Amino acid sequence: MPRVRLEYAHNAPMAHDLQDQQLIALIERVAARQLPGARAGEGEAALRELYDLTCSKLYGVALKVLGNRDWAEDVLQEAYLNIWRIAGDYRVALSPPMAWMGVIVRSRALDFRRRRASDRADAVLELDDAISETVAGDSADPMDTAQASEQAWALHECLRKLEAKQREVVSLAYLRDLSHSELAQQLKLPLGTVKTWIRRGLEQLRGCMGRFA
Amino acid sequence: MNLRDNPELLDRLAAAYALGTLRGGARRRFESLARQSATVRAAALIWQERFASMTELQAGDKPSANVWKRIENLLAAAPGAAALGENAMFEKLRRALGLWRGAAVAAALAGVAAIVVGVNLSREVASSESQLAQARQQGTQLAAQNAQLAARMQAMPEIQYVAVLANDQSSPSVLVTFDPKQNMMTFKRVGGFQEGPDKSLQLWALMPSGGPKSLGVLGTQPMTQMPAAEGEVKQMPMLAVSLEPKGGVPGEGGPTGPVLFKGALLPTTI
Repeated sequence: MPRVRLEYAHNAPMAHDLQDQQLIALIERVAARQLPGARAGEGEAALRELYDLTCSKLYGVALKVLGNRDWAEDVLQEAYLNIWRIAGDYRVALSPPMAWMGVIVRSRALDFRRRRASDRADAVLELDDAISETVAGDSADPMDTAQASEQAWALHECLRKLEAKQREVVSLAYLRDLSHSELAQQLKLPLGTVKTWIRRGLEQLRGCMGRFA
Repeated sequence: MNLRDNPELLDRLAAAYALGTLRGGARRRFESLARQSATVRAAALIWQERFASMTELQAGDKPSANVWKRIENLLAAAPGAAALGENAMFEKLRRALGLWRGAAVAAALAGVAAIVVGVNLSREVASSESQLAQARQQGTQLAAQNAQLAARMQAMPEIQYVAVLANDQSSPSVLVTFDPKQNMMTFKRVGGFQEGPDKSLQLWALMPSGGPKSLGVLGTQPMTQMPAAEGEVKQMPMLAVSLEPKGGVPGEGGPTGPVLFKGALLPTTI
């Protein structure tokens, strides 16, 4: 709706678009190393720049999925090597660059968790204190829009309207790929409560995101 | 159930599907409907894209500086597909040789009689050989050295590993080759770098585990050779050169001065 759009446009300045363009150009330079006539070292230099611009955000994603700094660093390393290999596929993904890279980190982190879980049956992931606090109380919005694409701005605007605990279980469900019962187990909450929070959270999100469509 | 006639239900299922909370039989039914209907597929994709943006909203944190170092080492260590392609490697060699020629010209201007040897690894093998022959006739010391190395570069099967050690501006400074037939590593200075009289350039192999291993000190002459076993060389992903007090430092502690040049040791895979 017009009013929502206006507010949205106000919050998503040109800077985000410029930043996206910069990241896209770097991903393309990484991919271009395999073209004939590519200069030696050019791909590595582009990956380095890409790393410097995005590693903090992507490390945050890996940390959120894994809740362990060492594991998150292993995953971060894997993810950039993955980006290095598949940079040529970016164009067909049609996604904002941060989202494309974020999804790579998330799936590497989820793979890591699955590997670990199958290595050790008792490797139950401890829930980070920060998440427990967020779910327990109604703490401030921990989201960060510093590198958000327009699409992420819309999601942010809508997630922001949820109660903190709803936002947290919805975020956790996605980022850690957890079912209702896994969420209930990790958050030490009754299954019914988790289902209700997710259902209400999703309903509100659907209504809100529909306005940005 | 025809989801296309029920956009509200379709949207709800697509959102739960993309979030990951639609599980079991319900998930399989949704997937089978998506395979049949582009509308259902589109709804799922929209939500997948929306949730993908959630990764953009996470609070950042600073990873340890080691992460990039590990990435850099792995890129450098992985031959072919993952890191430098063969073309890029030859390109590096060509550039290194170009600079090396530049260095030779500078030497000539400085009063040293020198013959510039034109080398183009990929194409001009024949003409290079005639130039090499000429160069040999001239018999100057530098030309002979150049010719020797150039001939070795051309006889690629004898050279199993090669590295271009560059400074932080990516200017090649030391060219490294390993010849398994003679178990010999050759280090050729190609940049204009000259250490002070009270300093030495020390060579290090950055091993995948454990600290850097000292290989010795680079001579002040244009070329230094050191014996090395093939098994050892195989394990060195990276080489580096640090600036140390005259004569170098004992190997155990690793470099004490700044690392001036470094580069990956790459198999020539011929």
